[in-house]
Amino acid sequence: MAKQQTKTIHLTVKQALLVVVLLIVVSAVRWYLTPPAETYSMENIPPYDGTPYVVLNDNQPSFTEEDMTDVSYEFYSDLDELGRCGVTEACIGRDLMPTEKRGDISSVKPTGWVQNQYDFVDGKSLWNRCHLIGFQLAGENANECNLITGTRYLNVEGMLPFENLVADYVKETDNHVLYRVTPAFQGTELVARGVQMEAYSVEDSGDGVCFNVFCYNVQPGVEIDYATGDNWLAEEAAA
Amino acid sequence: MIAAVCIDDRNGLLFNRRRLSRDRAQQEDLLALCGKKPLWLAPYSAPLFDWAPERVRVEEKFLEQAAPGDICFVEDRQLPAEKLEGLILYRWNRAYPSDVRLELDLSRFALTERAEFSGTSHETITRERYTRKED
Repeated sequence: MAKQQTKTIHLTVKQALLVVVLLIVVSAVRWYLTPPAETYSMENIPPYDGTPYVVLNDNQPSFTEEDMTDVSYEFYSDLDELGRCGVTEACIGRDLMPTEKRGDISSVKPTGWVQNQYDFVDGKSLWNRCHLIGFQLAGENANECNLITGTRYLNVEGMLPFENLVADYVKETDNHVLYRVTPAFQGTELVARGVQMEAYSVEDSGDGVCFNVFCYNVQPGVEIDYATGDNWLAEEAAA
Repeated sequence: MIAAVCIDDRNGLLFNRRRLSRDRAQQEDLLALCGKKPLWLAPYSAPLFDWAPERVRVEEKFLEQAAPGDICFVEDRQLPAEKLEGLILYRWNRAYPSDVRLELDLSRFALTERAEFSGTSHETITRERYTRKED
């Protein structure tokens, strides 16, 4: 009887070990097979219609009272398991702005960097290393947590005008602007569909700067596979 | 009345009911053009000139009240084309987002002067002065 009990306990331990091993294997397989949660919901973003950005929430950003500060800071999310950038946030003040010209950032290869040249693209190269928080605002050079693969169109037509607006305001007033840029990755895609840009001037409660927009990561005349970054001439452009 | 306006590369004036940019050097340049006359402006623009309050005249209906030859700095509304004797156009030479753009047929005005100067936050600001062409 006692021998039987011992044998039963021995089997249970083995089984428990087996269960533990199986659990580990199943978890690993599930982690590998399950795509990461969406980094951004595109539910309220209309399809691109020819303008580089669309206004969200009547241009009201979603900063909270706790976010309000007149002390400059910058925050960059760690890269996710696919190597993609996450949300970036800053309180832009003069003390954060660069005092030297931008350095070389070519060492950074953001996710989805499949470069091609097109004659009709300004500078010919489709992809730019797009700063989430623009260099003119925070002086970040080759920070891989601040650079995404973005079209020339996103960089120059979409994001730059908003960066200019914030930069001028801060330089002229010495005030601070809360600033957040969120790249919108879908599933396991390596190239963001666009970026949400939010800004709010602190000292004058948004009188100077207040916007909430989504800038599209598109390039007229070019088709993009957002899963890989591959790209090719659009049929209508070829015609 | 002579209107002075600031526009970006796409003739933009405002975005989300706010000016696109500002520059202290542009403000000083405009006051210099006024000479001893006051610069007329709307309450919205008054904070830009809080460093020289004695040089400006702030009125909501400033475009109606300004006399011939007076200069009005216009930011938050379209220009009354028929009333304009002349125009002072400041170009920021940068791009900003805009949802209100300058709606004025410049072909009805003759360019009389173009000058460039460095701003406090703009590399180059272009100032263009126009007078109304004879009808």
